[in-house]
Amino acid sequence: MLRFILSRLVWMVPSLVVVSFLSFVLIQLPPGDYVTTYIATLAASNEVVDQNTAAELRSRFGLDQPMIVQYAKWLGNIVTRGDFGLSFEWQQPVSDLIWERMALTLVLTFSTLLATWGIALPIGVFSAVKKYSIGDYLVTFLSFLGLAIPSFLLALVLMYIAAVEFGQEVGGLFSEAYVQAPWSFYKVLDLLHHLWIPVIILAVSGTASLIRVMRANMLDELSKPYVTTARAKGLSEFRLLVKYPMRLALNPFISTIAWLLPNLVSGSIIVAIVLSLPTAGPLLLQSLMSQDMYLAGAFVLLICTLTLIGSLISDILLALVDPRIRLE
Amino acid sequence: MTDQMKPRGGLDRRDVLKGFAGAAAVVGLAGEALAQAAAKEAPDLAKAAADGKLPKLADRLPASPMVVNVDKVGKYGGALRRGLRGSADHNGILRLVGNQGLVRWNLAFTEVLPNVAEKWEVNPESTEFTFHLRKGMKWSDGKPFTADDVVFSIEDCAKNTELYKSAPSAIVISGKPCTVTKIDDVTVKFTFASPYALFLEQMATPLGQYPTLFCKHYASQFHPKYNPNVGDLVKAANLSNWADLFRAKNGDIEIPQRWGNPEKPVIDPWVIKDPYTGGATRVTMERNPYFWQVDQQGNQLPYIDRLTFNISQDVESLMLDAISGKLDIQERHLDTLQNKPTLSQNMQKGGYRLIELIASSAQQVQIYLNMTHKDPKMREMFANKEFRQALSMGINRQEIIDIVYLGQSEPYQTGPRPGHPWYHEKLARQFTGHDPKAANALLDKIGYSKKDAQGFRLRPDGQKVFFAIDVIPTLYPDEVDTLELVKRHWAEIGVDVKVNTIERALYYTRGDNNDHDAAVWPGPGGLDPMLDPRDFFAQHPQGSRYAIPWTLWYVSGGKDGQEPPESQKQRMKLFDDARATADLKKRGEIMKQLFDLTADAFETIGVCLAVNAFGICRNNLQNVPLKYPNSWSWPNPGPALPQQFFFS
Repeated sequence: MLRFILSRLVWMVPSLVVVSFLSFVLIQLPPGDYVTTYIATLAASNEVVDQNTAAELRSRFGLDQPMIVQYAKWLGNIVTRGDFGLSFEWQQPVSDLIWERMALTLVLTFSTLLATWGIALPIGVFSAVKKYSIGDYLVTFLSFLGLAIPSFLLALVLMYIAAVEFGQEVGGLFSEAYVQAPWSFYKVLDLLHHLWIPVIILAVSGTASLIRVMRANMLDELSKPYVTTARAKGLSEFRLLVKYPMRLALNPFISTIAWLLPNLVSGSIIVAIVLSLPTAGPLLLQSLMSQDMYLAGAFVLLICTLTLIGSLISDILLALVDPRIRLE
Repeated sequence: MTDQMKPRGGLDRRDVLKGFAGAAAVVGLAGEALAQAAAKEAPDLAKAAADGKLPKLADRLPASPMVVNVDKVGKYGGALRRGLRGSADHNGILRLVGNQGLVRWNLAFTEVLPNVAEKWEVNPESTEFTFHLRKGMKWSDGKPFTADDVVFSIEDCAKNTELYKSAPSAIVISGKPCTVTKIDDVTVKFTFASPYALFLEQMATPLGQYPTLFCKHYASQFHPKYNPNVGDLVKAANLSNWADLFRAKNGDIEIPQRWGNPEKPVIDPWVIKDPYTGGATRVTMERNPYFWQVDQQGNQLPYIDRLTFNISQDVESLMLDAISGKLDIQERHLDTLQNKPTLSQNMQKGGYRLIELIASSAQQVQIYLNMTHKDPKMREMFANKEFRQALSMGINRQEIIDIVYLGQSEPYQTGPRPGHPWYHEKLARQFTGHDPKAANALLDKIGYSKKDAQGFRLRPDGQKVFFAIDVIPTLYPDEVDTLELVKRHWAEIGVDVKVNTIERALYYTRGDNNDHDAAVWPGPGGLDPMLDPRDFFAQHPQGSRYAIPWTLWYVSGGKDGQEPPESQKQRMKLFDDARATADLKKRGEIMKQLFDLTADAFETIGVCLAVNAFGICRNNLQNVPLKYPNSWSWPNPGPALPQQFFFS
């Protein structure tokens, strides 16, 4: 086991180098560079950049050098000094910008995860056990509806209704009074007060698909002989469900942990933008759109690292949960 | 609102205050008015001054503050709410508070008025400009603003090659930057190598604010000339050179860091409190207790206590803020035609009114055919004036105006807008009538008479008459609609085009590399023909898209690019002359000659007069003009003086 983990960790290094190079190339691939995009963005508000400034910006940010040189510099600074560079746009250290948003992102993602699993698992089990009952049909109907509605649309509609019909604010994670306030008990209360809206919106589609997956997995297991055996041995129905088929049906969820970690950063971007949530997603999108190389590059690198770590964790967990799986 | 300067020399500020108190008593509003006359500042400032935490008002204001003749004398208080986007929206702050240059524009965008400088003299050759500053004017930290600051800003900063590789173009003429000398504490002289009559106008635009941008006593600590140990500060901040540190602390005219340092002294009406940084969700600004402007009764401006800018990532949520009444004044990002019905419908619910923003552009959809195309055959086709003329007459402009612009415009080519003293009938209206017959005849005549099976014309070399027009759908959705109609109209005269919808950075890259067949963009120069003449001759390396190589020739003084034809060279010369001519009448005559040449050359094809935009303004926000220009040179709403807006 230990050897397995170690070798996986060692392999991560070359993967990360390759991935970082690819992402650097990909971000540069669209035509133009940060300065072109910057000029174009200002032009959208009828604003003009001084003609002498454009060339100067390019040389200041090193954009006039060949890409490979830019990449080498960037990677060199990360490896030698742990310095991810300055964001072109904000001239602030990239790591500060990212960490500043991570705390709230974590809160939001974990709340959503808990809500999703908390709702989906019992309902999935229920609808598998009571297959083709009215309850099953109802749940199936609702979950298809949830799957079909894009979450950003749901967010927009809810916001519109709240703003126009009830005159309530929905955007953001804090009320006016607490946005800039230091952390306190009341600020946390205020956060909880606002958090449930994005959590529900984000959980809707996730819940729907999880219910379907759980139901299908359970149905696979329920008809197997070991269930009959357990029942014949007189195990209570609840104990039986939780102890055997459900444990096996959980396998697919554990393998999804691999995507869960990168989703911390890149998940729910559109909803976060629509709802003006101060999470990492909008910052990532913004940096990609403005070709803010170092910020975008650091984000992509972070996402890749999390994916690699996530798949390692899910492999380990799978081995622990399911004795049929062998490492090596 | 009119603008009025206090006569110099006569009264000093204390006399004026006494005068007002006296007058009020005479009118008989005794108690109340006297109380008001006594407190001509915001209540919290009055309290701080009474407690000794702040100098008295008289000591905070200059000896002759700038007097703004307001419509209604306002009352103090309130917070003005506006929206910003999360990226590249720093100029949204600049437009509201940051346009405090030596001079400023009047409301009509026709004349330059005193601002930080209370008066100035210009020598007859327009090479020397002497500005008289306001005695006793202070930075927002209470330290004096003097001629030294202006000299420092230009000589030590704007002209420093480590800070600016090449000096900002507003202070450069004939390739040489100006020299600034201090005459005395309140007088500075700008000297140029050659005549620069346009200098005052340039100083009124956002890019002309360098003289008042940097505060010497604060900024010099980040400057190696004044602080030999600046290297330690650079190292402590983990930056690579002093210029980066200087910019991080002091900003520049239009970079986000300008609004990122609450410590930096400014002369703006409001001072940054919660800065605009990468992670910010809200930016707030608080009143500057040392702001140097008063209303006609001597009340210190601004009236409004603070500004809050909420940052939304997406324009739709800004719309929701607008219709739920959470924005007090906003035109940025909302002013597209598609939003107008929704915003009009919800006026009552949101408690706001619409304000009209007069387009400063001339043309809504300027079509630039690339007359310097890399393919000689295409170049020959586009360079033929009769070809362009036929295309222009082939457009049914009225249909476009009715369908796309809801009837809110008129057929137009280019040039100063109707009503502008320099309006040029021929330049504006030639070939705007829809006449497919004449257009067809013209195209037949110039050698495109053969047609293919689909009825499209063929060039003499057998290729179809076809070209692509670049357009950015995310920026200007209306231009895409217009082009689709133009495509139909041109099909009727046998010309095939592709509406090439592309991403904005690609649009710029194609232009920079001269790779485009044709492109569209709103055509500027409607109210500011001197400041943005890109459609009148090949002047703007990113904007004069019918001949980018010619612009490079002009900008580089003949070293780069391609040599333009004679008519262009004459216009370049005329424009340089006009820019050196201070006398407005004479300048107009020179520009008339230039417009004559432009009209004869007929390089760009226009569709219709640029359409006015709109903004929203809460009903309780007062002293906001009903309409004002929409421009970058007149950075709305700044020159409408937001410092004198107030909440009733």
